[in-house]
Amino acid sequence: MGAAQQKPKSDETSIDALINLSDKLKANKAKNMSLTDVIGVAELLTSSLQPLLRQIDSTIHSELRGILLRIEGLRKEIVKVRADDISNNKIPEMGKELSAIVESTEGATNSIMEAAETVLEIETDNFEDYKQAVSDQMMTIFEACSFQDLTGQRVTKIVQTVEIIEERINLLCEMLDMGDENLPEEELNQKQKRNKELLLNGPANEGEGVDQSAIDKLF
Amino acid sequence: MALDVTMPVLVVDDYATMIRIIRNLLKQIGFTNVDDASDGKQALERIEKKQYGLIISDWNMEPMTGYELLKQVRAASETARTPFIMVTAESKTENVIAAKKAGVNNYIVKPFNAQTLKGKIDAVFGE
Repeated sequence: MGAAQQKPKSDETSIDALINLSDKLKANKAKNMSLTDVIGVAELLTSSLQPLLRQIDSTIHSELRGILLRIEGLRKEIVKVRADDISNNKIPEMGKELSAIVESTEGATNSIMEAAETVLEIETDNFEDYKQAVSDQMMTIFEACSFQDLTGQRVTKIVQTVEIIEERINLLCEMLDMGDENLPEEELNQKQKRNKELLLNGPANEGEGVDQSAIDKLF
Repeated sequence: MALDVTMPVLVVDDYATMIRIIRNLLKQIGFTNVDDASDGKQALERIEKKQYGLIISDWNMEPMTGYELLKQVRAASETARTPFIMVTAESKTENVIAAKKAGVNNYIVKPFNAQTLKGKIDAVFGE
């Protein structure tokens, strides 16, 4: 079969040759095929697949190049998130501020309570002495209340830091085209599981939770 | 159960400030025999050594919460009937219901005042 031995000149000619060969084989069903015919068929089939393989190759190449360019772009953009700055500076700073708030409120509360306890324990029959002692303790209370100014400033710093972190996370989400859809269910860590089991919800905000009168009705 | 201001009272809270506030409020009411513990575990150690007439406990503490303490107190025959008041910032209905089911005698939401504390203690002792 001479047609089977022809070398295809292009993608179209190899397909044409394959169709011709197929027609001839159909027309000569009764005759046995020679080894030359089989090799010819294999050659034609191989060459006919070339265009498809070339197309796949070029598609993959172009897609991989696109992915590479996207990764390079993302790497440049992710630098703007400054993750190191968040973990090395922002979060520890917030921790320090919160600790300072706890310390100052605790200190102030203790000073106020000490003053109140001192007033409760004043033992004198002299009104002027009593008045002076109460007045001294009231001044201590006023002084202790100055903690509110400092803690207010610290809270403002924390809020600003949280806003910076929020901006950067939003930037990252935008870069990665991440939306709220298809979010996996949040996996609870050990601490969260314990809080859930033991109903550790923490103080409720205004308007949330039940008030004392509602609780009293349950008892 | 009659209210006896000389009976031992155990105050359980992980905040020293809150213990101090409750101690002062109890003192105003007339209670003088007041011990304290910083969590449920420490409270159980105190309860093993001394019989208390009233337990006032916070809910949210580490390592043992007030809710766990309440359940353990109710599970032990010696303390099954000891008056137990929960004083907590946990004000969700589910918390109140869970505490009631576990056998709490009364429930106070923080912040509270001396009048509320006295009212609940009186209610527990049927005064």
